[in-house]
Amino acid sequence: MRSSEVRLDRLVKEYNRTVAVDDVSLTIEPGHMVALLGPSGCGKTTCLRMIAGLIRPTSGDVFVNDKRMTNVPVHRRNVGMLFQNYALFPHLTVEENIAFGLEMRGISKADAARKVGDALNLVQLSSFGKRYPAQLSGGQQQRVALGRALVIEPAMLLLDEPLGALDKGLRESMQVELRALQRRLGLTTVMVTHDQDEALTMADKIVVMRDGKLEQVGSATEIYQRPTSKFVAQFIGASNLFEGPIEQRNGSGALVRVSPELSLQVDQIPQSASDVMVSIRPEAIVVERVGQSPAAQRVNSVTARVDQAIYRGFVSHYYLKTPSGGQIIVFEQNQSQQAGLRYAVGEEVVARWESPSNHVIARH
Amino acid sequence: MDERFSGFGAFILYTITGGVMLFILAPLLLVMAVSVSDSYFVTFPPQGFTLKWYAKVLQDRDFLEAMRLSILLALGTTAGSLLFGVPAAFALVRGKFFGLGAIKGFLLSPLIFPALVTGLALLQVLTKLGSQDARLNLLIGHVVVTSPYVIRTVVTSLQLVDENLEDAARTLGANRLTTFWRVTLPQIASGVAAGGLFAFMVSFDNYPVTMWLANSEYSPVPLVLMRQLVNVFDPSVPAMSTIIILMAMVGVLLLEKLVGLRRALAA
Repeated sequence: MRSSEVRLDRLVKEYNRTVAVDDVSLTIEPGHMVALLGPSGCGKTTCLRMIAGLIRPTSGDVFVNDKRMTNVPVHRRNVGMLFQNYALFPHLTVEENIAFGLEMRGISKADAARKVGDALNLVQLSSFGKRYPAQLSGGQQQRVALGRALVIEPAMLLLDEPLGALDKGLRESMQVELRALQRRLGLTTVMVTHDQDEALTMADKIVVMRDGKLEQVGSATEIYQRPTSKFVAQFIGASNLFEGPIEQRNGSGALVRVSPELSLQVDQIPQSASDVMVSIRPEAIVVERVGQSPAAQRVNSVTARVDQAIYRGFVSHYYLKTPSGGQIIVFEQNQSQQAGLRYAVGEEVVARWESPSNHVIARH
Repeated sequence: MDERFSGFGAFILYTITGGVMLFILAPLLLVMAVSVSDSYFVTFPPQGFTLKWYAKVLQDRDFLEAMRLSILLALGTTAGSLLFGVPAAFALVRGKFFGLGAIKGFLLSPLIFPALVTGLALLQVLTKLGSQDARLNLLIGHVVVTSPYVIRTVVTSLQLVDENLEDAARTLGANRLTTFWRVTLPQIASGVAAGGLFAFMVSFDNYPVTMWLANSEYSPVPLVLMRQLVNVFDPSVPAMSTIIILMAMVGVLLLEKLVGLRRALAA
């Protein structure tokens, strides 16, 4: 299957003067899987539908392999699309559903039958061809929809919250499976999701959207470890956010004063910055009992009281309160032989972390 | 059903249901009963049993001619109101344009206006337009009266169709027309059938509009019945009525078998 490059050039979509998508430009490399991630109403689905051709942009263009597609109607674009509710034709059997796109292309009955068989094999539903969608489980229905989308050998695959209606276990195994298949076929794929885990699991590149605009574009690691805005830091995973003035510069870094009992050492900081926002991931923080560790040094460490403690299987969540009233969230991985929570509510602890965990957020 | 309604509740339910059914069906049963009465006047209870009134009716040229006209008119009306109503319903449900609500109100308005007024207005307009053919005028009038029924049932079933089905079909290479025929229409078939049946029945026994638009040459069944009723009220009138009732029942049962009418009407 050939791979296509998809390029969005200054896409805008307005509805009655409200802007759903605001000046979105993006290049999706051939064979990549890109996730459009954001809260509901951020414009991600509108973007996807404009790529599909189901919605006409107010302005801007969609290019596929440098060919302008903006005025090409959806039925001539050759896109494979998956919907959250599967959108299988209820009056047609599984085979007929998969054959639909082939029939529209005028492919001969014999060729179509062979291709439908191949597609059923690909999605591991060979014995289900004669059934109707209502007789299948949600996971099976989405496989049929996948087969139906792939059998037309689409230029790209568009996924609109495709696994959102499945329960957690099945969703996770389908994510891995879908990703493996997409890689094997080398099919350029754009996925819409509000589920950050899904985006992190499946995508080569994550596009975080907010209020119709691109907030940050990058790989899973970039988005997670180096969020450029407060929004991204909070939307992807959990973050401890601190704000304060520069206390003193040291080389290319600086000491940021958060409160009388806590300052943060950041290693890189722009020369112009004066007030700084710093994000620290909860799993970067180490918690120790007072007395079992060196006393808090004020820099990258603070004495605090356990306010809430939650046992979540492989990880425990601790919500700490500092003397000045600040909250710190800590995720600690549990050991296999550990008996429940390591710290009780009300206990005095020392929280400490390393300087590289202090990530400066440019926009806040 | 049995679990939710038991004891006294069930008694009340069945009594009320039975009462309503009796109220609706009793007049029809009465008509059927007197149609086999062996007497020269319509009397109840019927005296004796005879099918001679049916024999008379089925040899009555006027009645047979009226039946032929009414059936053709109802068929034409059904086709016309479907051709007009289905696309209109589609536009009302899927369309997003200015004045949608006003257009919807307008299209459903013949359901609200007195049919007598609609009929008179149509007569005046059609006369002004120089349309002299009573058959064509009847067809136009009936399509106007019956389209709202089609629009209503099709709108209802169309609202239940997932728009993503249509989007999926289009991404798979179907243009809008193909999408409608292959994907949307099968989903709304029962609604279309219900609307069509309504159109047929409403056309078949419409009196107030028909009265204005028919002439002596082309008189549909309701007019002939009424004329007969005024002239000689013998059991041939109930016999004609019984034939119409039976036709309606066969039509409903047939559609129920074919497309599951119950489902469409419940929606």
